[in-house]
Amino acid sequence: MQPLIIFGILAATYLMVVAKRTPALIRSFRYQSFCLFLATLFMAIKEGHPELYIVSGLLFVLKVSAIPYFLLRMIKKIQANEDLGLLVNTQLSLIWALGFTYLSWVFSAHLLGQVNQTQTIIMAVSFFIVLSGMFLMIFRMTALAQIIGVLVMENGLFLLASAVSGGMPFLVEIAIFFDVFVSVVIMGVFVYRINKLFTHIDVNKLSRLRG
Amino acid sequence: MPKIPAILIQLFIFLSLAPFFSGLVSKIKNNIRMRKGQSVFQPYFNLAKLFNKNEVISENASWIFRIAPFVVFSSSLTAALLIPLFFVSGPMNGFADFLALIFILGLGRFFLALAALDTGSSFGGMGSSREMFISGLAEPVLCLVVFSLGMEFGSTNIAAFNGLHAATVSSVIAAIALFLAAIAETSRIPVDNQETHLELTMVHEAMVLEYSGKRLAFMEMASYIKQMIWFSLIVQIIFPSALPDSLFLPEVGMWVLWYLAKMSVLVFIVAVVEISVAKMRLFRVADFLGFAFTLAIISSVCAILGV
Amino acid sequence: MINFNLLFDPLSLFFIFVICLVSVPSAIYSLGYLRGHYRGAKITLAWTLLVIFVLSMLFVVTAENLLFFLISWEIMSLVSYFLVIFDAKQEKSTTAGAVYIVMTHAGTAFLIAAFLLLYRYAHSFDILAIKQACLIMPQQDKNILFFLFLVGFGTKAGIVPLHIWLPMAHPQAPSHISSIMSGVMIKTAIYGMIRFIIFLLGANSSWWGILIIILAVISCLAGIIYALMEQDIKKLLAYSSVENIGVILLGVGLGVLFFSMQMPYLAIFSLIAGLYHLVNHAIFKGLLFLAAGSVYRACGTRNMEKLGGLIKNMPQTAFCFLLGSMAISALPPLNGFVSEWLILQAFFLGAISFSGGVRLFLVISAAMLALAAGLAAACFVKAFGITFLALPRSRSAAEAKEAPLSMRIGMFFLAITAVVFGLFAAPIMRLLAKVAGSAMNMDVSAMKFSLNNFTLCPQAGNNIYLGIPLLAVVIIALSVLSFIGYMIFNRRKPLLNKVWDCGYYKVDARNEYTATAFSKPFRIAFGFFLMPYRKSQKIRESFYHVKTFAYETHTTMVFRKYIYDPGLALIFKAAKNMRRLQPGSIHLYLAYIFITVLLLVVFMSKF
Repeated sequence: MQPLIIFGILAATYLMVVAKRTPALIRSFRYQSFCLFLATLFMAIKEGHPELYIVSGLLFVLKVSAIPYFLLRMIKKIQANEDLGLLVNTQLSLIWALGFTYLSWVFSAHLLGQVNQTQTIIMAVSFFIVLSGMFLMIFRMTALAQIIGVLVMENGLFLLASAVSGGMPFLVEIAIFFDVFVSVVIMGVFVYRINKLFTHIDVNKLSRLRG
Repeated sequence: MPKIPAILIQLFIFLSLAPFFSGLVSKIKNNIRMRKGQSVFQPYFNLAKLFNKNEVISENASWIFRIAPFVVFSSSLTAALLIPLFFVSGPMNGFADFLALIFILGLGRFFLALAALDTGSSFGGMGSSREMFISGLAEPVLCLVVFSLGMEFGSTNIAAFNGLHAATVSSVIAAIALFLAAIAETSRIPVDNQETHLELTMVHEAMVLEYSGKRLAFMEMASYIKQMIWFSLIVQIIFPSALPDSLFLPEVGMWVLWYLAKMSVLVFIVAVVEISVAKMRLFRVADFLGFAFTLAIISSVCAILGV
Repeated sequence: MINFNLLFDPLSLFFIFVICLVSVPSAIYSLGYLRGHYRGAKITLAWTLLVIFVLSMLFVVTAENLLFFLISWEIMSLVSYFLVIFDAKQEKSTTAGAVYIVMTHAGTAFLIAAFLLLYRYAHSFDILAIKQACLIMPQQDKNILFFLFLVGFGTKAGIVPLHIWLPMAHPQAPSHISSIMSGVMIKTAIYGMIRFIIFLLGANSSWWGILIIILAVISCLAGIIYALMEQDIKKLLAYSSVENIGVILLGVGLGVLFFSMQMPYLAIFSLIAGLYHLVNHAIFKGLLFLAAGSVYRACGTRNMEKLGGLIKNMPQTAFCFLLGSMAISALPPLNGFVSEWLILQAFFLGAISFSGGVRLFLVISAAMLALAAGLAAACFVKAFGITFLALPRSRSAAEAKEAPLSMRIGMFFLAITAVVFGLFAAPIMRLLAKVAGSAMNMDVSAMKFSLNNFTLCPQAGNNIYLGIPLLAVVIIALSVLSFIGYMIFNRRKPLLNKVWDCGYYKVDARNEYTATAFSKPFRIAFGFFLMPYRKSQKIRESFYHVKTFAYETHTTMVFRKYIYDPGLALIFKAAKNMRRLQPGSIHLYLAYIFITVLLLVVFMSKF
């Protein structure tokens, strides 16, 4: 079951990297979070900690339902151009993503060695998710892409923590979830205001912060 | 402790002989100019006349103008006490050396320059400015001469310069440099003209322009004494002769004659120099003193090399 | 690591004495100076800052721990910065403060580097422990440390070319602070040099002494030549401080040179001369600044061209300024004469004790010192003469009033001290011998230092004497006698009349000599260094009739133009080029952050 989930995560991440429009991006984010939710659920069933159930539940509620719905609604409200400005085109993005995969594989193999295969693979996948979140933030023009990039990076870190060390402490997880939710709300408000003021959310055009 | 009789004798000698040498310089100059000229003792008559005249002081002057002549006079006399004239060491020798002599004369010059500024006339200001300029540039020359002579004799004590010795190359060159510096210090042509009162050309005369009567007499006397000091030093360095150790009259008399002879030769040279060259532009005095400085460096190099 | 122990060896005690000697009269002076010109709250602030300033200086000279020294040093710099910009309403104050704080911190950076290097060897911040470690330090490290200390303390002392803050900061500060800064604060840098270079490092390379002497000679000459060109009294005094620091360093440098050549007697003697000039300069420079401050208070201007005739309205201030000018021009029988004479004798002793080319170097340096002394006399004739003598050149000078009593008390105290330090030179030399001995770790009980009958070199057998009291007595006696002689033969009082005016009908203050004119011969003679230039502007009605003629003459500020301005331009150019890193694109900034994190993560594993 696990390889399938991991495959699902990987596929969703690739979809995110090549997405050209914001709703596509958000949808792939949803798939990724869903796969993550499944993975956490299976871990919860296997180990039986009640906290893991709560965490996976929160994951479902927040990252699979609430946040994507909120973001999609935001897009409709501000009636922005749904085009996710690409600084690097689709094919090249895919090549970058493949490169990132290879790099993260090499790095985690260097760190953990070939001893524990599963852990190595999951660590590689999580590094790759973090890197692709970074990629989204740098090479996509709109502000929404940056928000989603942060969320993706947080996903990756969550996966890394749960794979390598059996999850972060419960309180920390709850706090992080809450934190993510609030920051998305705030960032949404910001995007709304940016759009109000500049009539666009193309961050590439906001370049007054210069030396 | 200095011996009081020695001090008094030295003071008397300086006070009595100093105007004579100045008169001798003008007499020789006039004779070269094919004139009979004034008598050799004219400066004495001038001083006597000045002592009888009344004084006029500028309204702008303050107490500095009034006390400056006395300070200048006493600084010259104090410096005069250091010169070994009749005794192996000057009567004040225990209390200052050649370097201190330069500073003591500097005290007089400081007050003279201040008094000149005190009157509020531009002549005085000009005189002060030029005098401080010339003396400032002459100080390194004097210092180098002191050092090169001192390196030969082992000390900056003036008495040390008096041992019977042969004049070495370094001491002769030092004496020439000292001569050039003395021309600057005693305000003689080519640095300054004592016979003129044109603002373009006067330096020392400009500073004493506002003085009259007895105060002017003190100032003049001070400059005569200063001149005598420098000339005595120069002759003693170039033609050293043994000083009498005791008050044995023939020795003393011999020494007096020798001294007068040497001073006359030097005075003659000074007069010839005054006649032959024209007074230099003020800003060329820097070059003149620079030449003296170079000579002084050469003399120290010779002293270092032991020549 | 850090402890607050205080070290009270003779060197520290001497500097404590110097600090208190100048700070106390300045504090008394400030009672009258601040009253009536500042509000009450500002006066309280001034007093608080003054107390902290003096305390920090006291801690600097007694600190035993390097960190404590550094903390006190920084507090001293900061508090003096606040005091420099005390009159912050004037723009010149803030510029001066900015230049001052930047330069003093640049110097402190060198000091910190040196202290860290010392710590690496000694593993402790205590001076005495470091002294032990320095005995085994290799010579290259000692050379590096020497250079760091020289630059670090040289910035604070005002050695050319690190002096440009001095003539900007000292005039702007209130006068009692100027006197403390010029009299004492720059001496703490000399304390640092003596403590760290001689006491700690051991001073065993001869080129150290020669380098210090060369820098000192340059400072002497450059300082006094610039002082001659100044019209602002306090700026003139500040440049003259640069010159006197050069003189003090001549003594210290000679001490280092002799010490490295294993000549203990001469080393102690030169250091005595240097320290004597240090305390003398503190006294007379403090006095001069206080007198200049009272002139400024009375007339509202520091420009000499607008002053004059103050000797009639402010006789006591004038007398104090005269005494200070006489002292700084090295006139007998005051204290400046004794210390300059001692330094010249130290040069002479070196010239007869060494062999080879060093002798010529020493002789020429001594001649340069004599030149500086002559120029200093010229400078102070100008300063005193133009400011105080003859006719007032402006209304404010004509209506000046004498300074209040507290200011006069401060000034007279320092004036009397100047005379005392001149007359009692011999006992002072004996005390200074102990101080110098402790700095150089030598036992001086066997050495005899006196101004009467001290043997220059045992072989030569020629003795030098300098009896200041007797010299003073003779000078004063002769002048009094001549004055008495004058009075006896004087039958009528002198007449007062107008000054000789060449037939002009209206001779007033505009006919007097000006300060600029006084220094013109020097401007021309030293033109190769000063590079004067003039600007003139004529407004004509017709070709033959000039209505107005404006004439300005300036001297080029050589160090600013050729060293500091190019350096600053280079820094600004580099900064401008760095701006290209920040073009404004958020994506680029994010990329910077992530790449850095990635690199750290990846390369962490390598460590």
